[in-house]
Amino acid sequence: MAELSEVTKSEASEPHEPDSGFDPKSMRKTKPGLKRLVLTVSVLISFILGFPLLWKSVEIYRAPLPFREIDHLSAQLDSTPLLFPCHFQAIFIGFNSGADDLESSLLDRMAKLTSQTPQCGTCGTNYTVSVVVDSGSHCLESRSSKSSCPWRCGALSAADFGGGDDDDEAVDEALESVLGGCSGLGSGGKVYSVVVLKRDEDVRAVVGKYRHAWISGRVSETAAVSRAAEIFVKVFVNGGKEEASIHGEFMPVGADGKIVISFNLLNSDPRDGIYDWDFHSVEDILLAPVIEALKPVASISVESQVLYHTPKSSFSYWDDKWGSFVFSTEDLPFFVNSNEWHLDTSIAAGGRSKILHFVVYVPSAKECPLLLQLQDGEVSETNGFISPMWGGVIVWNPEGCGKVSESKHPVRHPVRHTISQQDLQKVIEVFMGQFRQLFGLKSDNLYVGSSGITNLLASERGFTIWELDVLSRQHACFNLHSCATTLGSLSRLVQSLPRMIIMDEIGKQVEYSLEAAKLAQNNASLGVYDSSAVASRQARSLAEDAFFHPSIMSVSYYSFEHCFAVYSPFFLPVAMHVLLAALREWRRYKQENKKYLAWKTKSKQNILKSPH
Amino acid sequence: MKACSFDSMAVPALFLFLGLTHFTNCVVASGSHSSSSSETTMHTNNWAVLVCTSRFWFNYRHMANTLSLYRTVKRLGIPDERIILMLADDMACNARNKYPAQVFNNENHKLNLYGDNVEVDYRGYEVTVENFLRVLTGRHETAVPRSKRLLSDEGSHILLYMTGHGGDEFLKFQDSEELQSHDLADAVKQMKEKRRFKELLIMVDTCQAATLFSQLQSPGVLAIGSSMKGENSYSHHLDSDVVGVSVVDRFTYYTLAFFERLNMYDNASLSSLFKSYNPSLLMSTAYYRTDLYQRHLEEVPVTNFFGSVMETIHTDSAYKALSRKTSGRADIKISPDKSINSDLNPTADSEVSDPVNVTKPVDQQCPFTRFMGSFNEKVEKLEDVDSLVNYSLFMMLPLLLLSTWFIQQKLGGPSSSDYEKLQAELSDLQTKYNQLLAAHQETCKERGS
Repeated sequence: MAELSEVTKSEASEPHEPDSGFDPKSMRKTKPGLKRLVLTVSVLISFILGFPLLWKSVEIYRAPLPFREIDHLSAQLDSTPLLFPCHFQAIFIGFNSGADDLESSLLDRMAKLTSQTPQCGTCGTNYTVSVVVDSGSHCLESRSSKSSCPWRCGALSAADFGGGDDDDEAVDEALESVLGGCSGLGSGGKVYSVVVLKRDEDVRAVVGKYRHAWISGRVSETAAVSRAAEIFVKVFVNGGKEEASIHGEFMPVGADGKIVISFNLLNSDPRDGIYDWDFHSVEDILLAPVIEALKPVASISVESQVLYHTPKSSFSYWDDKWGSFVFSTEDLPFFVNSNEWHLDTSIAAGGRSKILHFVVYVPSAKECPLLLQLQDGEVSETNGFISPMWGGVIVWNPEGCGKVSESKHPVRHPVRHTISQQDLQKVIEVFMGQFRQLFGLKSDNLYVGSSGITNLLASERGFTIWELDVLSRQHACFNLHSCATTLGSLSRLVQSLPRMIIMDEIGKQVEYSLEAAKLAQNNASLGVYDSSAVASRQARSLAEDAFFHPSIMSVSYYSFEHCFAVYSPFFLPVAMHVLLAALREWRRYKQENKKYLAWKTKSKQNILKSPH
Repeated sequence: MKACSFDSMAVPALFLFLGLTHFTNCVVASGSHSSSSSETTMHTNNWAVLVCTSRFWFNYRHMANTLSLYRTVKRLGIPDERIILMLADDMACNARNKYPAQVFNNENHKLNLYGDNVEVDYRGYEVTVENFLRVLTGRHETAVPRSKRLLSDEGSHILLYMTGHGGDEFLKFQDSEELQSHDLADAVKQMKEKRRFKELLIMVDTCQAATLFSQLQSPGVLAIGSSMKGENSYSHHLDSDVVGVSVVDRFTYYTLAFFERLNMYDNASLSSLFKSYNPSLLMSTAYYRTDLYQRHLEEVPVTNFFGSVMETIHTDSAYKALSRKTSGRADIKISPDKSINSDLNPTADSEVSDPVNVTKPVDQQCPFTRFMGSFNEKVEKLEDVDSLVNYSLFMMLPLLLLSTWFIQQKLGGPSSSDYEKLQAELSDLQTKYNQLLAAHQETCKERGS
């Protein structure tokens, strides 16, 4: 029994010595197997190796947008409003004081008139003034005067300034021939000039069609200085408006920088006679120069149509005082009959262009002549009104139209008329008034300032040069701000949708838009108003294109949470098991290895003991 | 499609990704304060987006609702080119329609809503959530004509009317997809960001309409829904002649009843419209959300949204380029606000209950519902929902790890250490057995010998 038990015991712990205090709980005699560990780890490694591959294949293409530049642009526009450099030149003829004294007093006056908070689209305090005193025999120039075209002494004399009002045009042309073509201090900026002429006459102040104004008559030195300062600041810089900056409603230019002007001739009741117009000649002769003049601000296209059976939707009543039918200003909001007037037929206009409707309304014989009565009981001179961002309406009463109804002849075939050129010209003049009103400019050719009334000459092109400068400056500023806010919105939107594809096209548009904005800013700082306006328009249009790109739709892109919710049930449980199994196997292996090592040290000790 | 391509995504990616999204969301939350629009802009024009979202003949009333509203806003002066009309089906030409090419909203059949001059901009399968959101946000393909676009600007007042079948925070489109409340809120936010409206009135006639507004957060938005959460919106009456379907919904019916008494010149205020809804007639509680709207409802004429009163400025003078004359100048005249017509709703005032002051049923719920209720309230008060979601996603991972481990430990088969233990036990038993066997054999030998 003792033998047998010995034998079996030696069998159970076969390869080792029988004694040696072997503890099966903390030791083992075989090397732990690596098979399971290798298997689980290889699965895990294949997962990990597959991950970069997968990451690449799942990646969403996002064109890199210059977020930093966008932020920079808006921050820049916010902190420093776009101020254009302006150069002013005052020429005093027939005065004897020193040029430097006059200059300092002029600067003083202008600083008082300039608003403290710099407004976008103005010159702010970024202007230079030079003064020339021409006393007939000799000329004095102020020290700061470094104009590229120095004043020729005696170039203008009292004789050039003519006698009465009728000569204003001629004087303006004479001034342009002498002063025109002068540019500012080495840069592209144009110079605005005021000529003050002392002579024995009533004081008149006139602002010409170009960039010049003149004051003539019995003016004292201080009065001349204050008037000149007012013309510089209020007229040349602000455009004769109370507020310098424009609001959105006086910005009738589409987001793509285009305007479509749609002219509509409305025959409210064609049974009383059909009126037609020769629109092509109007367009060629009267409108083409206007469109040309406004080119920096907006690209304008024109279309026209004649509509029939288009009654207005407000009422009118007979007024004996005026001998005509009258509608009042309270009725104006209801005048436009949008259900019967099919004005918006334009297919030429793209999605984001602005359409301005101009309606020439021919009233029916039943209520003709039709006049607009103002609140003070007077009758409107223009017989028209505007609606901001929409366009304008002109009520045109044909000659002797009321009498047709009195004759009471049932006319089988209505008489066809063509509106005469003279009438059309009057209509276009009212239209020009309305169009300028939509841009926020007055048309009464007067500027009433604190130091007196100034006449403004009207230009055949609809807008004088200095008015165009004002518009260019303001639109450049507006466009740049609009561009910056649009790009800012876009960058916020793009960053809030991290799983959205951003096409290369959007990236390009943003890039070009920023470039154009930079160009506009550069041009603005050089004082090149019109090209600044053009570049800013381009910047705005590109920014809008990028923002309204049809590929940006939040619905088309799942958020990350969506993806997680959809795919986690498939992959997460398996992945967890693999990870846990690998961890467990690793732990087991370590544990078992420790046991084995423990036994090994033990057996070594035994071997050391064994010789005894 | 453009669905997210999130194939066999491995775990580490999730860890990484969660971190990233959490970060970006935080950034966006801090940076996305809506740029304050200049308050000086005038209200210059009106737009209307009228949407009927449901197909099929038995939803006749939804198309009738929409067409009735279309007729009303047109009558009150919004021109066709400023109305976007979306009809998900064509009931007028349905084979079951006993009055072909006509649609009525009343069983007396007096008023054909589908007369001439109805310009449907989106019809049938064009009415999708995507197209709807494209209209709102203005992101169209270049080929989409002007008439299908919402070309509003910062001076626009927009009326958005929607009707269809809905539920808690969603509105079904075409019976196949849903517009969710956060989609709507997102679109509105983008519109505000791009200054596509000055004021927006959202009017929804659907079940649980109030829930659709819960995510809105853009200023200048006024919302009115036909029913509160948990309430249904019912149809008004059945027209047994038109193959037995209902022809109009209650909420829309009473809205139209209010507007039938008005014309373009009226100055009835929005509050008088809202007060005209009688919950007992509606069989639901009309809900309106005003906290995003700055003006007082008593001062806002309904024609600010449902009609179009043009802002006009008299032209003082013509621009006489050739003959320079000065002319007298008149003051700028803008249509004045008259006093508010509040006596237009003789019946409704007394019974209207303010949605805020609705008496809640006495609390007799079980503790669990109470707990869930308070939990929901807390969740609703949370501002940064995104980060919460991400945190919870993070929390999910350890939970999952724990549960997988637990399952393996308790429910799975024996582990390898168990195996070792059992092996040791087995060998012990074997030695014991061998000992016993040897002892046995010994005794047998002894007996035998």
